[in-house]
Amino acid sequence: MNLELFQAQNVIIQGITGMHGSFQARAMVEAGTHIVAGTSPSKAGSLVDEIPVYNTVADIQADFSVDASVIFVPAPMAMDAILEAVDAHIPLIICITEGIPLHDMIEVRRILATSESILIGPNSPGILVPDELKLGIIPAHLSLAGSVAIVSRSGTLTYETMAGLSERGIGQRYVIGIGGDPIHGTSFIDCLELFEHDPHVSSIVLIGEVGGTEELLAADYIAGSITKPVYGYVAGHHAPAGVQLGHAGAILGSQNESAAAKTGALKKAGVKTATSITSLLSLIAADHSF
Amino acid sequence: MNKPKDHLSPLSSCCRLERVKLLEYEAKQLLADAGVLVPVSSLVQTSEALSLPLPVVLKSQVPIGGRGKLGGVQIIEQVAELADAVEALLVLDIKGYLPTVLLAEEKLLIQHEHYLALRIDRIEGVVQLMAHPKGGVEIETHTSGFFTRTFEPDQVEAIASQLALSWGYEETLPATLLQYLLTDLYDCFVANDATLLEINPLIYTTEGTFIAGDCKMELDDNAAFRHDWQFEAKSTETNFVTLDLAGTIATIANGAGLAMATVDAVADSGLVPANFLDIGGGSDIKSLLLAFERLMGFTHLQGIIINIVAGISRCDEIARAIIAAQAHIPTLPPLYIRLAGTNYEEAMELLTDAGIATLPTLEDCIIEAQEAHHL
Repeated sequence: MNLELFQAQNVIIQGITGMHGSFQARAMVEAGTHIVAGTSPSKAGSLVDEIPVYNTVADIQADFSVDASVIFVPAPMAMDAILEAVDAHIPLIICITEGIPLHDMIEVRRILATSESILIGPNSPGILVPDELKLGIIPAHLSLAGSVAIVSRSGTLTYETMAGLSERGIGQRYVIGIGGDPIHGTSFIDCLELFEHDPHVSSIVLIGEVGGTEELLAADYIAGSITKPVYGYVAGHHAPAGVQLGHAGAILGSQNESAAAKTGALKKAGVKTATSITSLLSLIAADHSF
Repeated sequence: MNKPKDHLSPLSSCCRLERVKLLEYEAKQLLADAGVLVPVSSLVQTSEALSLPLPVVLKSQVPIGGRGKLGGVQIIEQVAELADAVEALLVLDIKGYLPTVLLAEEKLLIQHEHYLALRIDRIEGVVQLMAHPKGGVEIETHTSGFFTRTFEPDQVEAIASQLALSWGYEETLPATLLQYLLTDLYDCFVANDATLLEINPLIYTTEGTFIAGDCKMELDDNAAFRHDWQFEAKSTETNFVTLDLAGTIATIANGAGLAMATVDAVADSGLVPANFLDIGGGSDIKSLLLAFERLMGFTHLQGIIINIVAGISRCDEIARAIIAAQAHIPTLPPLYIRLAGTNYEEAMELLTDAGIATLPTLEDCIIEAQEAHHL
């Protein structure tokens, strides 16, 4: 990911006429995002507020160059919407939709591998660069511009972290939700790399969850490549052990997917960790009070 | 009914990935439909006459592993043994599950038993093949010998011959049979939106064929819209989890991550969380009221912490549900409410009019709950 992605000028909304699409388009405009158009099948020619609606992304591109798309299309059609944006060479694609079938995401990842497009999500709250750019549904009024970068797998827990920092007077440069679904585009590592290289970022907050192994890979990457201070919390310390069908999970080491195991890995990588979000916020605040 | 006694959802395996866990006979039907060899079988619900010749293997159909060690699999050699075995298996509890049906299968003539599975690699976003020459119940204890490959359908011939070699087959026939098997398994995996397809053991018979001895299969509930699934085992509920029936603080939050974080913060403070509840985005008043009523089943509650940070959901909807709950549930314990995000002002107006107080942060909710606790 490069920094220019976050200076998107012309933004479109795929699925702009739905309940969430239209509501959130308005919120993005209010936060200063320049939304030039939206798509909705068979609603071409209508307007959502002042925003023109087209049938397809290609139709929009006849009138505008598009830097980013935010997708609100329902899960059964979301794969086609993502692939339409990839096909149109849109540099930054953010998919808010949750619950896309995993086999659809396998297909998306296969095609993304040979594309220049960056996909954030699915099941992502999107990206917020406070006071500059809002792509998605992160509530901008809970943010404060500054130099902390937040990356998280969760939606609402991201807002909680951001709001908690803002209340303590600690501003944010980036707030990115990479998405809660098991298969997604941009990873923790992609975001960590961006944060390390952006001189506007002074410190990093990583919010993980039980399940999967992405936090473990992030820990390895932090140990080897990140020089800025990193704070981490993995949600789910009190989640009950799951009942797993089959042996594949255990063979592959699903015991390493617990919140405690991941927290241990992050700690070993030099991350300042906490076992609850409230104590994480206190930890960051203590380091930022001078 | 096929219900676990102690209802815990597979929260730690993944919060949002809802999976339909198939029973063995359901999974084997899908395998057979895809052209994979499975044992000749029939379903048994009573001890009436079997349509299969003896000996048979009688297997309890429960959605959990480890039944063999608990007596859930019986070999029947004599007709006289059948009725008692069926009766006993139908009432045999396997880790909290009782079967509604048994599977009777022909007893295979085993030469080798292998392990073969297709799963989804979340990080790479690909289908992964996992295999081991020695299948069976001890598979998790093997520390080496696993054959793992990204499964590329156009490379199935090469994968099959490598797999055959790794299993010690040097002739061409087993490799060819494995190629057909892998092709059919992959088609079955994709066509059914499976997230796991595990054959353990995969039996190589004395006649030189591969037959699926047991099969565990999980399907992606998010793909249910494009299937006509009529399976016995339904997907497990993941948005409500009982943590402690004697817990003193119930939690309600929106989003799985925030709901887990709320539970973690309550537990970290020394209070005992009773439950995990993720009301998700866009919950209506009716489903929220049901959630409140459900919490009334915890008899030791001293408070409910409601932690909402609305993005796609709207605070005013939550406020309306809280007001309705206050009106309808006379035994409601004290509420510690924190709302933030979308439509916050509207929500505050509604709650203020109803005389319901809120707190600015989750931390404040916990501190107030702690203070009340120590009175």
